[in-house]
Amino acid sequence: MSPEIEQFLSGMKKTIEEVVMPNLTDRFAQEQAGIVAASLGFLGLIQDKAFHYELLENQEYKRILTDVCELLNNTFSAPESIVETTSKVTEHFVTDKVDDPTHLRPYKFIRGSNEVMKELLCEFIQQQPEMSAELRAAFEALMKPFFKSIELRERSWVKALGFDPEAEQQADIADLLYKDGFLNTDKP
Amino acid sequence: MREYYTPTLKNRAQPGDAWIESIRQQFPTETTLDEVLTKKLRNRSKTAEHKTDFSDLETRLFAYLKKATGQDDIVMENLHRLSGGASKEQFTFDLTWNQESGARSSEKLILRMDPTESIVETHRLRESQMLDAMWGEVPVPKVHWVDPAGENLGHPFLIAGFLEGTVQPEGGDKASGLGMFFEPRLRADLKEQFVQHLAKIHTIDWRNKGLTSYDSPRENHLEANEWSLGWWERVWHEDAVEAHPIIENAALWLRENMQTVEKPVIVHGDYRSGNFMYTDDHQINAILDWELSHIGDFHEDLSYTTCQILGTPMDDGSVLTSGLLSKNEFLDKYQQCSGNTVDPKRLFYFDVFSYYKVAVISVATSSRAAYGRKTHLDAMMNLLSGFGYTGTSALQRLLDQGG
Repeated sequence: MSPEIEQFLSGMKKTIEEVVMPNLTDRFAQEQAGIVAASLGFLGLIQDKAFHYELLENQEYKRILTDVCELLNNTFSAPESIVETTSKVTEHFVTDKVDDPTHLRPYKFIRGSNEVMKELLCEFIQQQPEMSAELRAAFEALMKPFFKSIELRERSWVKALGFDPEAEQQADIADLLYKDGFLNTDKP
Repeated sequence: MREYYTPTLKNRAQPGDAWIESIRQQFPTETTLDEVLTKKLRNRSKTAEHKTDFSDLETRLFAYLKKATGQDDIVMENLHRLSGGASKEQFTFDLTWNQESGARSSEKLILRMDPTESIVETHRLRESQMLDAMWGEVPVPKVHWVDPAGENLGHPFLIAGFLEGTVQPEGGDKASGLGMFFEPRLRADLKEQFVQHLAKIHTIDWRNKGLTSYDSPRENHLEANEWSLGWWERVWHEDAVEAHPIIENAALWLRENMQTVEKPVIVHGDYRSGNFMYTDDHQINAILDWELSHIGDFHEDLSYTTCQILGTPMDDGSVLTSGLLSKNEFLDKYQQCSGNTVDPKRLFYFDVFSYYKVAVISVATSSRAAYGRKTHLDAMMNLLSGFGYTGTSALQRLLDQGG
């Protein structure tokens, strides 16, 4: 496959910055062209990591949903609405099995599966007021490191956009995604 | 174009009447906000992408102005699109007409018009009523005409006087004025005024200001905060392009930790650098962008204005509120000027709320607007999601600390 995507993007960025922008006279057009050039620069940095980003999320959401369902299955006090959500998780795991070689799936399948899992996890989060105090505490303990890993991953993903005042202390997305040359699927 | 992936995402992209009704029931908001949010959803699948060609604007605007003034001999010149901003399409033009006093004169005016979908969906009647209410209280542009229905130019708009001044100092330009840098002399001259104007806004008797498009929350009641949270929860559930566990958890925390508002005040809703203008002799001559204003808890403005992500990071590691002064100095001065006492518990609640609101606007709505190609700023809307995820990160750290 040639040219590689990165080459296309850097070519477009150079053309916008060095040919188009200097010849624009309208300030609004200049401003928008600058944003397009910045977007192309950002895409150049992250485009080869998008698939692995989704793949890592796929692994993490499968793991957290498995843990949550296990917690709920071992609890007698789980209300009916929560039991219904666990059934939906089981149903989804028929489509995208926990042990499947997901890395062989197309990007859109993984992205779609991740979205279903995110919505299911959000259902559990909404259901916290229905949980007993003991169950809720156990659920919160499961979620705490998971929230942290989302936070770190997303912040690293958008680091290069320049909005984060503490960006320098933040890992580059590649350092976060990979460990010893492979996708880092260690439990957060 | 992206696939829908789940039934929820399909409903958001192609909202049907039943789904719209369920969203309205689930998240109660003020009447006029419900009106614009419902209109946005009803139009979402009916309208095509936003048209950025404004070649027919001059003709339509001229026809509108003749009708609005009732004068055939008006002269309209120099129509230009403005750069800057992240929300509405803005144009300036010169208008010569016979004013109410009878004198014929020329004035530079600003046209502020909604795109097909905006990073914040707001009501032009609310904005114009609030500007009218602020006239003579704090410096604001004078509103001349408003069309909240959008019948004349295809989109809702308001037309106000254009004020000369500086929004972004030389070299201090950042997206939408976020994290703007002011040199020390300018900082010293502006900071007192910046605090005083907010204190003034919070002490105005809003009940006598003709704010008929605003619902009036009860004193010592949860109502004001329920409407504020309901607004942004509703927007999240209408616009998000993916579910987000941190945002969901934050909404739950905000519902469970909500407190009553003892005495509701006018809340600006977006009080920060980028939304005020100053003259060459360093006087603030306009407080701008009132579209998020509502009646609520004054802590809401204090938390939003002082939230780190909107501040200016300095070389010594500190962050200045709107690039002007430290958070502590801002709060001390505010208490002196307003007579209001800051409650740390309420301030923390609204710190969480502010990051939640930033995340909803910048993660959900900006992405949604760009997804449907519904604004004149689609490229910027994608980029702003970076701001939103930085906000989500701060939100999570805050909940970790205080939740």
